[in-house]
Amino acid sequence: MSFIPGQPVSAVVQRIEIHKLYEGDNLILGFSIGGGIDQDPTQNPFSEDKTDKGIYVTRVSKGGPAEVAGLRLGDKIMQVNGWDMTMVTHDQARKKLTKKNEDVVRLLVTRKSLEETVRQSMMQH
Amino acid sequence: MEIRRGKFRQSVFMETPQDSDIQKKIDYEIRMREGACKLLAACSQRDQALEASKSLLTCNARIMAYMSELQRMKEAQVMQRVARRSSDAGPMDDRSPCKGKVAISDLRIPLMWKDTDYFKNKGELHRCAVFCLLQLGGEIFDTDMVMVDRTLTDICFDNTIVFNEAGPGFELRVELYSCCSEEDYSAGSTPRKLASKLSSSLGRSAGKKMRAALEPGACSATSNGGGATILLPVPSVQGPKYHLLAHTTLSLSHVQDSFRTHDLTITGNEECSYWLPLYGGVCCRLAAQPHCMTQQMMSGCLRVKLGGEPQGWTNVYGVLKGTNLFCYHQKEDMEAKVEPVLTIGINKETRIRAAEKDPHSKAQNICITNQYGGEEVTHTLAADSREDTQRWMEAFWQQFFDMSQWRQCCDDLMKIELPSPRKPAIVTPKQGSLYHEMVIDKSDDIGTVTDILARRIEEFELRAQLGSPPHWMALFDEDPPHTPQHLPPHSPSPRLHSRQPRSPRCQRTPGLLSSNASLTSDSDSPASVSPCFRQAWSPVASSSSGRFRPRTLSLDAKLSTLRGRGYNGFRCNCQPPTASSVSPRPTQTALSCSSSTSSSSSSEGSNSQESDLGFSRPSGARRSLRILRAKLDPRNWLQSQV
Repeated sequence: MSFIPGQPVSAVVQRIEIHKLYEGDNLILGFSIGGGIDQDPTQNPFSEDKTDKGIYVTRVSKGGPAEVAGLRLGDKIMQVNGWDMTMVTHDQARKKLTKKNEDVVRLLVTRKSLEETVRQSMMQH
Repeated sequence: MEIRRGKFRQSVFMETPQDSDIQKKIDYEIRMREGACKLLAACSQRDQALEASKSLLTCNARIMAYMSELQRMKEAQVMQRVARRSSDAGPMDDRSPCKGKVAISDLRIPLMWKDTDYFKNKGELHRCAVFCLLQLGGEIFDTDMVMVDRTLTDICFDNTIVFNEAGPGFELRVELYSCCSEEDYSAGSTPRKLASKLSSSLGRSAGKKMRAALEPGACSATSNGGGATILLPVPSVQGPKYHLLAHTTLSLSHVQDSFRTHDLTITGNEECSYWLPLYGGVCCRLAAQPHCMTQQMMSGCLRVKLGGEPQGWTNVYGVLKGTNLFCYHQKEDMEAKVEPVLTIGINKETRIRAAEKDPHSKAQNICITNQYGGEEVTHTLAADSREDTQRWMEAFWQQFFDMSQWRQCCDDLMKIELPSPRKPAIVTPKQGSLYHEMVIDKSDDIGTVTDILARRIEEFELRAQLGSPPHWMALFDEDPPHTPQHLPPHSPSPRLHSRQPRSPRCQRTPGLLSSNASLTSDSDSPASVSPCFRQAWSPVASSSSGRFRPRTLSLDAKLSTLRGRGYNGFRCNCQPPTASSVSPRPTQTALSCSSSTSSSSSSEGSNSQESDLGFSRPSGARRSLRILRAKLDPRNWLQSQV
């Protein structure tokens, strides 16, 4: 999942569609994010490459909409509803996820196990 | 600002492979530039901004170079087509010299401070960020950025820059860019309160400097591009701008195997903000390795007359490299690095001629004459066929031509040290003090400090490589046996306050357990998960070689913030239930709260904090300021709940 500056990033991604849940007055997704281009990437416990400034899922609340939709801890979010998440600040990422007029967010996430799964399934054939 | 590829492609009628190469390079640089612009717009720290600005300048310079190269290639193509059409082919047997590697290293630029400034060290410390941009042909490299103030006598750049394809007529342009870095008081020496007071007001001289910096073109400086003709729309970004301070051009005559000083042409004057008192020279080591010295220019089978026998021809495998013609018994010897049977010097004094036909062979002989200490020694060689002889003669002529072009570089092979591949930036621990070793988050209280220390003890004990325990372990002399065992899942320290609203704290997995165990448990994980992460993670990381120290607020700042707020107040969670009840949901750190607080006016966030945070916290305004500052402090790794 490491990137080379200037080169397009390619990753095996999974589409995850999360339906926001009403919690009193607020719409929540049920997970927390960390990272961003304005954050210190070396403090990210989930990234393989410690210079990766992408947005990572740092917590998934149990039974929440994100977990139900298939989001897992440590996933790296590549896109949210088409908006790129690989080169955004932390606040920009949070805003894209928490738009009030949207009650569904479609994410593209990647994780290490995806690539391995794909590779294994390819090897079987 | 969008650069469309189409604008470039319009001018391309026929694309050759070299064109597409350059096009790819241009696209790459444009992407880099966009990234740098984004980073520049987003970063808050001066260092980051300077680095981003430097990479922006380099990208711009590269784009300009590639585009001018593209232009030149187009023109050459057109000229060629025109030439062909008018059937006016120029002489095709112009010899062109071989290319070579040129390396510049150990750049050092002496400075000339006024002696009063340097010795007395009074007044503000005027600091500048400087770096060098080196251009040869189409290749542009930049050195690392160096911060310069009056405590330095020289600007030193440690990088070694190697240009791979340089002709003997190369021109290496060295440009020194500098950018004034305003004095930032919060350099760590002043306490935070004072720092915040100072940073909010501008002193008289600082104000003057700001005004000068804001004035456009005050010092005839070029902005981002650094070049006269800017073909692309330059993105206007705020942020530090570098200005050209000095430049010089080096060429073949400056190449030497040792250090030399060259003159610098200084642009800019004392009035400019980016001014540095340069002595006027630059000292560096410029070395060149032409390919004729490093590569085999010609190799093949030959026959050599050895010894005194007139008829004795020996078959050898000859390799022409550098200033010698090595003759091996067979080709495999050369690969096995066995000593050659015969080494014939080929240098400026060598004379080579094709001799008359030897009656016994069909091809001409080649006679190589050298002067060895006053004596003339002639070697006679013969190739197998006329074409081979011709090729060898051609190779010798090319070698002589190259030597005449590269002059002093062909006397002896100059050493070029290749820079080792750069690893991604590793954060080195700033200091070895205990404060920096501790990973604390805002949610923790003092009791957890002892937890952390206890864990550290355990870590040290587990890591057998540490001989003697660190000195602070004396604190725990009475305790050590007990604390480790109590770790999961209850708060081990008996000193923990009973008014702790949340009972099971973050699962403190001892040392080397996998980090997942503590992370995925969601029941009542208090505060933020980050202490869990870091604590579970850093012990794991410590057992491996590369260790990243998470940086954290100093203990002082932490304790003062803790004391400033009551426990009730600490729950700036998104969930709106009544303030007094303990929310069953995982609570969030102050940091995430602040993220919505600061952007509350424009936030589309689903969490509106204002009303909730109202009465539940004692010193609301001060707290939000602290939260804001904590949020802006890049040492924290923010997490937000969505």
